[in-house]
Amino acid sequence: MIASAAVWLLQNFLQVLAMGFMLVPEIFLLVVSYEIVSGPLRAERVSMWLWFAFAGGILWDLRWATSPGMSGLINVGVVMAIYLIWKRTPIAGRSVFLFAVLAGVAHFLSGIAHYLAWATPSHIAVRMFLIQQLLSVPVLALLCMVYAFRRTDISV
Amino acid sequence: MAGKLNPVLVNFLVAVFCGLMFMWFSHSFPDKTRIAADRVSVALSYPEMPARELRTLVQTLDNWMMERGTLHQRLHGLELENIALRTALQRSGAAPPVSTPGLVGASVTLRYPNAWWKEIRVNRGSSHGVVVGAPAMSEGFMIGRVSSVGPEHAWIELVTSSTFLLAAVVVDTWDLGVINGDDMGNIWLMYMPPDKEFKQGMLVSTALVGDYLPPGIPVGMIWGPGEVRDGLMPHRVASGARLTQLYNVQILLSGESP
Repeated sequence: MIASAAVWLLQNFLQVLAMGFMLVPEIFLLVVSYEIVSGPLRAERVSMWLWFAFAGGILWDLRWATSPGMSGLINVGVVMAIYLIWKRTPIAGRSVFLFAVLAGVAHFLSGIAHYLAWATPSHIAVRMFLIQQLLSVPVLALLCMVYAFRRTDISV
Repeated sequence: MAGKLNPVLVNFLVAVFCGLMFMWFSHSFPDKTRIAADRVSVALSYPEMPARELRTLVQTLDNWMMERGTLHQRLHGLELENIALRTALQRSGAAPPVSTPGLVGASVTLRYPNAWWKEIRVNRGSSHGVVVGAPAMSEGFMIGRVSSVGPEHAWIELVTSSTFLLAAVVVDTWDLGVINGDDMGNIWLMYMPPDKEFKQGMLVSTALVGDYLPPGIPVGMIWGPGEVRDGLMPHRVASGARLTQLYNVQILLSGESP
């Protein structure tokens, strides 16, 4: 959880650097998604991550003055959705691909929600949204690699 | 047991409720939300400090690069303007080409640096009566010979060219020799006997050699003897024209005398 808090700070750090140029990918949301699927789906553990994601979202909203509370709700929704899907998926089916799809869709939907809440339609806003989505790909790929590695490690 | 709610679901519902309450609160009490946002910003200002410093550094660097580029462009523009002004100044100082009966005035339009002492191009050609072999003059002295002609231009091989050969005579002594350049700006009167002595300033002019080149056109003045080579002594000839300030020339028309 400390590492995830550091990831939140990293995302904030990058956003300060890129302020005015682009939106940084939601690394925090992707890492929280990874944390949900990479450990046991115990209720108290998932609940903890759920509140952690909520707090991260609220702080993000307060820092970057988007619609206050929206990021918290999105993060909570993402954690819950991933938890439910992952829980209902047989262990054999909990693949890297499924994780990539879930995290990718979560990031995309979060980006869309922010875009709709924040942006008046313009080419620049669309371009920033697309760049944010593209930049999330390497982060997602890295998390997928870590997940695959740990999965193999556990299997061995 | 079956009716027991999933704790995750309960937490989720509570979190959603909290989120909605937060949204309602932030919309109903924006001032209080702003206070909270300010406190978060203050708290985060410490971990954000390196990013801010880095950003300032990048912006400063970017501004410096842009400023440097602008200064570079400005300097380039001033250099070009300076060259244009110098050219205009030089041109204004040079007399316009004058045509007289039998002579067509022409302006030098091209002089390659790597063939500085070999050839020039002028803006008069066959449509003005210029023919190959015709002598070109400046300030009353021959400076070269037309080597090729186009309708509106002509190339003149200069007397300082190493391939330029011209029969010439020392007017005072009637000694005949050949005028030849060395591509270095010098003119030599070749094939003089070594015991022959000329006085400095003796006039050298063309000898009768062809239809387009009448005799008696001044080429220059004897300047001094050179080194004996193959039993013969060349004499350096100083051109009467200023070959370093060649802006206009006059070309002798066919069948005319200067």
